Amino acid sequence: MIQAEFEVLLSDNTKRVDEDISWSEDEDRSPGVEFRVEVTSDPGYPLFIKGWYNREAQTLSYALIHRGVGRIYGLDLGKDDHNPSCVYVGEKHKHSWNDLVRDKEAHVPADITAAATEPVEVWRQFCQEARISHKGTMQPPPQINLEMFL
Amino acid sequence: MNIIPCEQIEEKIGKLFSCTEVNGYVRIRTPYLYPDGDVIDVFLSEKNGSYTLTDLGETLGWLKTQTVAPKKSPKQRQLIADVCLNHGIELFRGMLTVRLRTADDLTEALVRLSQASVRVADLWFTFRTRAVESITDEVAELLTERQISYDYTERLPGRSGRIWTVDFHTRHPRKSSWIYVLSTGSRAAARGVAEHVLAAWYDLSHLKIGPQGLNFISLFDDTLDIWSAEDFKLVGDLSDVSFWSKPDEFLEKLAA
Repeated sequence: MIQAEFEVLLSDNTKRVDEDISWSEDEDRSPGVEFRVEVTSDPGYPLFIKGWYNREAQTLSYALIHRGVGRIYGLDLGKDDHNPSCVYVGEKHKHSWNDLVRDKEAHVPADITAAATEPVEVWRQFCQEARISHKGTMQPPPQINLEMFL
Repeated sequence: MNIIPCEQIEEKIGKLFSCTEVNGYVRIRTPYLYPDGDVIDVFLSEKNGSYTLTDLGETLGWLKTQTVAPKKSPKQRQLIADVCLNHGIELFRGMLTVRLRTADDLTEALVRLSQASVRVADLWFTFRTRAVESITDEVAELLTERQISYDYTERLPGRSGRIWTVDFHTRHPRKSSWIYVLSTGSRAAARGVAEHVLAAWYDLSHLKIGPQGLNFISLFDDTLDIWSAEDFKLVGDLSDVSFWSKPDEFLEKLAA
């Protein structure tokens, strides 16, 4: 994917998620919960979003994935990132597709103000930033089972 | 520049790891990175006086957010199990874990767990969508599996003088073939790809002539719904059209 294609895709405001979103335990029953939803758009981009929230590590990720390319846009909270320029970006960072380094470079997204422990609010802000309209609702992640993991 | 290696290592490597308390764990931020540059954190937990180092499932969670596939494949599970075996790591409910036997184990376990985390995350390089791989790697894998001899990315001069790089040249006892693999992630680019292959087949059409004439095969990566009937027709006049979703039909064409 070239930069211009990515820019057009990202600025396309017909991208939408029509379904309600609920978090589910992952296949390993780890402390993380996840969801996956399709993103539709008028141009028919082959996109979906994966969400990952680790209730113990308190990390949160939303990744916009293009079926032909992989992740092209992703927000991470609660863990740091090291850019190819050897700069550490911080615990709130967003990866965006770039011709030169693909999705390896991240920056601090000013519009994301909610914390990793507020996945529903972060989702709202993420959608706004990525120009995705969500017609449904997002359920909060289930509470972690009180049984000890370790 | 004057480097005193042992002193510098002793003095500075430890400082590359930093600790913070997060949700009742000691989070240890390592200098190691996931393939996208995210920093690998591991967590120390204590229960009844015994200590465990774990990634709390972050490594497999990171992998999940990078892939189109909803679940790990059996091959990926096997590779993860191999990594755990090699590094003495227990995989428990999606978490890479090491139980500390003595206090002295911490540093050694920390490096071991971090390395295992790097290794598991590097499964990303085996994903179909990784930047350095394409469907041609999968085609090569299929040909190898079925013991069909092939050469790839051969450069051939066309009648116009232009050099074309054809993806595969296969040699079957009954027939040899040239194969172009048509793959793109974008509907907008699909027609351009088909036109490029059409131009190549036209310019190379002299290679079909004679008793040793080769098959021309246009293999479409139809795992994404981006091709139109016109694209198939465009290359269909000069080559046999095959689809990656029907590998058996593709293999039959190589022998026909």
